[in-house]
Amino acid sequence: MSEKAQQRALTRRAFVRLMAAAGFGTALASCGDASIPLSRELPATTPLATRSAAATVPPATTPATPPTGAPATEAPAPATPQGVAYLAVARGTDPKAITRAAVAAIGGMERFVKSGNQVIIKPNICVDYRTYEYGATTNPDVVATLVELCLAAGARRVRVMDLPFGGSPESAYARSGIADAVEAAGGEMEIMNDAKFRVTKIPQGQDIAQWPVYQDVLTADLLIDVPIAKHHSLARLSLAGKNLMGVVQNRGGLHANLGQRVADLASLVRPRLTVVDAVRTLMDSGPTGGNLDDVRLTNAVIASHDIVAADAYAATLFGLEGQDIAYVKAAAAMGLGTLDLTAIRIEEIAA
Amino acid sequence: MKHSGPMKKARAWRRVRHAVQILALLLFVALLIYANAQSPRRFWADLFARLDPLTMLTASLAGRVLLGGLILAGFTLLLTLLFGRLWCGWLCPLGTLLEWFGPRRARRKAPPQRWRLAKVLLLFAILGAAIFGNQSLLIFDPITILNRTLTTAVWPAVRYAVVQGEAFLYRLPLLWGPLDALHNAVVQPIFQGVQPIFALAPLLALFAAGLVALNWWAERFWCRYLCPLGGLLGLLSRLSLVRREVNDACVQCGRCAHPCPTGTIDPGDNYRSDPAECIVCLDCLADCQGEGIGFRWQPPHWRPGGLQEYDPTRRQVLAAVGASVLGIALTGVEPIAQRQPATMIRPPGATLTDFSALCIRCGACFRICPTQGLQPSLFEGGVQNVMTPRLVSRLGFCDFGCNACGGVCPTGAIPRLALEEKQRTVIGLARIDRDRCLPWAYNIPCIVCEETCPLADKAIQLEQVQVLSDHGQAGALQGPRVVKERCIGCGVCESKCPMGGEAAIRVFAPTAAGPSLGAILRQPPRQTSEVLESAKVRHGDSL
Repeated sequence: MSEKAQQRALTRRAFVRLMAAAGFGTALASCGDASIPLSRELPATTPLATRSAAATVPPATTPATPPTGAPATEAPAPATPQGVAYLAVARGTDPKAITRAAVAAIGGMERFVKSGNQVIIKPNICVDYRTYEYGATTNPDVVATLVELCLAAGARRVRVMDLPFGGSPESAYARSGIADAVEAAGGEMEIMNDAKFRVTKIPQGQDIAQWPVYQDVLTADLLIDVPIAKHHSLARLSLAGKNLMGVVQNRGGLHANLGQRVADLASLVRPRLTVVDAVRTLMDSGPTGGNLDDVRLTNAVIASHDIVAADAYAATLFGLEGQDIAYVKAAAAMGLGTLDLTAIRIEEIAA
Repeated sequence: MKHSGPMKKARAWRRVRHAVQILALLLFVALLIYANAQSPRRFWADLFARLDPLTMLTASLAGRVLLGGLILAGFTLLLTLLFGRLWCGWLCPLGTLLEWFGPRRARRKAPPQRWRLAKVLLLFAILGAAIFGNQSLLIFDPITILNRTLTTAVWPAVRYAVVQGEAFLYRLPLLWGPLDALHNAVVQPIFQGVQPIFALAPLLALFAAGLVALNWWAERFWCRYLCPLGGLLGLLSRLSLVRREVNDACVQCGRCAHPCPTGTIDPGDNYRSDPAECIVCLDCLADCQGEGIGFRWQPPHWRPGGLQEYDPTRRQVLAAVGASVLGIALTGVEPIAQRQPATMIRPPGATLTDFSALCIRCGACFRICPTQGLQPSLFEGGVQNVMTPRLVSRLGFCDFGCNACGGVCPTGAIPRLALEEKQRTVIGLARIDRDRCLPWAYNIPCIVCEETCPLADKAIQLEQVQVLSDHGQAGALQGPRVVKERCIGCGVCESKCPMGGEAAIRVFAPTAAGPSLGAILRQPPRQTSEVLESAKVRHGDSL
């Protein structure tokens, strides 16, 4: 019996030790409190620093708790280098070739990717309903080509992700054809992790002051926004701005006052490169489609560092203007880019 | 103490049995985890349900079909005819768990022997009901119990604990690097993206806990007195060819009687046992001092095992069958027999089969459903349909790109529909509550239901509605409307509706009424374009 009692005493001590360790761990873990909305240091200047709209941008607030390594890597978006197009449109039947051509015309991927960079590519993989031919999800060849270009430019890691609303990410990634293409190209598909969404302040937000945002897209060295240009029943068109809804939670809550809220989101997320897939454009029944009769072979890819200009140009493929799309217009009004396609240098390439 | 040769050998056999038990349990859990909606592994995921002769027999009887699973169940029966209740002592994963979780020292006073009768009567009640096309009592089959408990309670709880623990650590930004590596390599592949949620999880966990708790009354209480599968295998074991024997070398030391987990070794009868109750665990062999016990090949002097005091009389068997028939009759007058309840939406294709006759209540479909829309019902479908699946669209929808539930169903209650066919199968009908719908009731623009509708020709159409704002200004809004002929009732609209609480669009039982005026006036369907044909060539069945 005494032997047993001794064993018990030892166990108790071990238990106390364990509790102390757990308490210490708890204290340590609570250092990073998730309940405080995070802020993000935004670039002081936008690519359109010369435009008057940019002057209205409020100075970025000092972050209360900076997201992991964000500010260090968050360089101001590059202004258009000399001799390089502000926006490029490549047309042709080979999605890979026109993607390469469009990116090359705006200065090549080396303009955006530095050696050792972490890149996130955000295509539109909204649902797992159908294959990419139906024009609801981004063309896998376009995405894979961007992965290849990033890796060739020296990127250390290229991740591709979206948050599908119809079906699981696993099935949507697979059915869209993007998973296979990206993995063949050397990139990784990431299934967004609930734990990495944080309520983040949107300093420039006009309608929303904060929203739960996937932190990795804010901390990556480069975020490439790769929407598919398609019809949308509420927004009229789903383009690069709308595509950013795939990096936040509570997406349903953005639908009220969608235009301004998407623009607010764009003011926070700021992809430094936008590549619009307009290879197979869904002209009706968007955003999910389902009829190949609604799909038009537009065979174009648009690339620009300016998300607003890219969207404004993409709108013209549907016989509309940037002005007609509420979120594009709102983003322009916030100084996030230009709607004036006549004032910028556009290079059209046939590839 | 020096062990004699036979004793050593017996202990070796016991180790082999423990190894087999562990492997069988691990296989059971592994199959459960391994199957997911992308790869339902339709043959392997339901391996144990197919090995279970009780479920296969009742499903074949009730559904009037010859199931492929009968072959595997035949293997179990063959094993039983050879060695007795080997299944119970070596393979049954529930039996293994019940063996592991129990008191260190057993109670002296076990329930009376006559209680063993209960499992046989339950068996006859189940078989009697099956002849009349009912399988409600299969909620008491050991494989369905374990599958259901792991699926709805244990596994979700494990996932919740792991993911919450992970989320807690994610609060510390420094840890993100290693946590990401762990999450992407281990947590995500094993647990997948959706947290399983089951309203009945606590209830089912309590039921399983109750079975374990009974072990404090008598060892393997469930296996001894209650398990209907044990009853079935026990009856067959009376005919088994290899049986436990006590011979003249027995010194009447009584060491074997104490450890017997089913308490069937009778000191009053020269330490003999009933082959119907012996689960061939071989513990008695290991504890025998001499060579008084052996498991031996019976022929050529084979005789069926003797009758026991607790064997049911003919009258009792008839009473059990009669009671189950009476039970079917009583529960058969429920309203569900008259009309499908509005919220009782079955898995896709279940209306094409004799669903309630074929469903063995195993819960494989709850486990595989990638949105967790399939939930076990309690009394929503009446007493006869307890633990059958129903789609709760607010929790999760029937994913347009998924036909996994048909793939894992061991009895074909949910048919194996090709994806294309499943996408045309109507399971319900959506209804918009205009008094709550954001655009209709509150002038708030919202098209989420239309946006998520997966059909090529959307079952939700947007009407331009002229409205007046609070200040009396005129404006236009889009208001959703359901096209009855197109809606398949998948429920993604209900699932995604941004309205708080109950959705403003809900899916109810489909209606046979129709067609609507629109369908009568409709133009002939559009021709499928050539592009579709080329896409089909490229992607085959996935379209």
